[in-house]
Amino acid sequence: MSQPTALDRVIEGVLSVGLLCSSALLAAGLLSGRQGLLSAGVVLLMMTPLARVVVVTIDLLRQRDWPFAATSLWILGVLLFSLYMAWRLQAATA
Amino acid sequence: MPELSAALLFATGAATGLVGAMLGLGGGVFLVPLLTLALGVPIRAAIAASLISVIATASASATVNLNRGLVNMRLGLVLEVATSVGGLMGGLAASRLTQRQLFLTFGITLAVMGVLMAARSGKRNVIADLDVDPGVLGGRIREGEKTYVYRVKRLPVAMSSSLAAGAVSGLLGLGGGIIKVPVLNTFCGIPIRVAAATSTFMIGVTAAASAFLYWSRGDVALGLTAAVCLGALPGSLLGAHLSERVNARYLKLLMAVVLLVVAVRMALEGR
Repeated sequence: MSQPTALDRVIEGVLSVGLLCSSALLAAGLLSGRQGLLSAGVVLLMMTPLARVVVVTIDLLRQRDWPFAATSLWILGVLLFSLYMAWRLQAATA
Repeated sequence: MPELSAALLFATGAATGLVGAMLGLGGGVFLVPLLTLALGVPIRAAIAASLISVIATASASATVNLNRGLVNMRLGLVLEVATSVGGLMGGLAASRLTQRQLFLTFGITLAVMGVLMAARSGKRNVIADLDVDPGVLGGRIREGEKTYVYRVKRLPVAMSSSLAAGAVSGLLGLGGGIIKVPVLNTFCGIPIRVAAATSTFMIGVTAAASAFLYWSRGDVALGLTAAVCLGALPGSLLGAHLSERVNARYLKLLMAVVLLVVAVRMALEGR
């Protein structure tokens, strides 16, 4: 556990891209005062961990590491369920 | 909500991100008290902003820790099963608590963890014998010239603390590292640096599980959240780099002291 693996590198990439894009949007939104850019930045930031889970799940499935792939699928399921609940809440208040 | 300058919020985010990352926390543990007690932000908006900035800081610290090979990914995955469910439940329950109950819960949670941390600051959890099998979830860690092996003990304790950490995260806007790091270190035999790195790795997912709910309830104040996040990012990256140079024992003691101080202030607010 002292050398990063290939998967570590991929996750690092996904997180970095998500962070860079969302902070660019947030900075642009703050400077220009446009709420749309701020919303997009926050949403992208909230989606970054979800993207990471997707990447890890795909990698574990490809490695045929079934126990850990199932673990990762469960986590993905919980996040998707939370998104669904949020969508329902929003639909109820709109 | 008071008019706050973006620069002040940026600085607040940067300071909490720096200290948080040095301690292996998302920084929400300091951000929520600062925003509410010092800047007068309503607690729900503070919690929502904290949750989102915790996603940013934890993801940023995770990139540094992954690069160092400190993250125990398998252990992280197993524990995320519990934290994500906890985060979802906490996020759903948050709307049912009053401001006062939120403050009190916050104070009590911090006090308990501070005491635990102080009590265990002098212990080590690594095995110097390299032939020991670390098991499916254990691993190795290099410190200076030496490599240590550790095994994961008491997995059910790790799982329940992760569930609790997730719930606290969803409820109070903390990443939950505040609970996981001490428990993983104290009861489960995981070296503090690995515990902190693995916890940080999980925190993005934990926070996301409840952040969606705060967003849809309209608790996310966009300008506030954006300024705090933008400050927290460079702060936490610097903190994660500095954390390697800080002695683990002092790290624990520092964490304990800070926790107790913040706990008292938050609990007083909930009277």
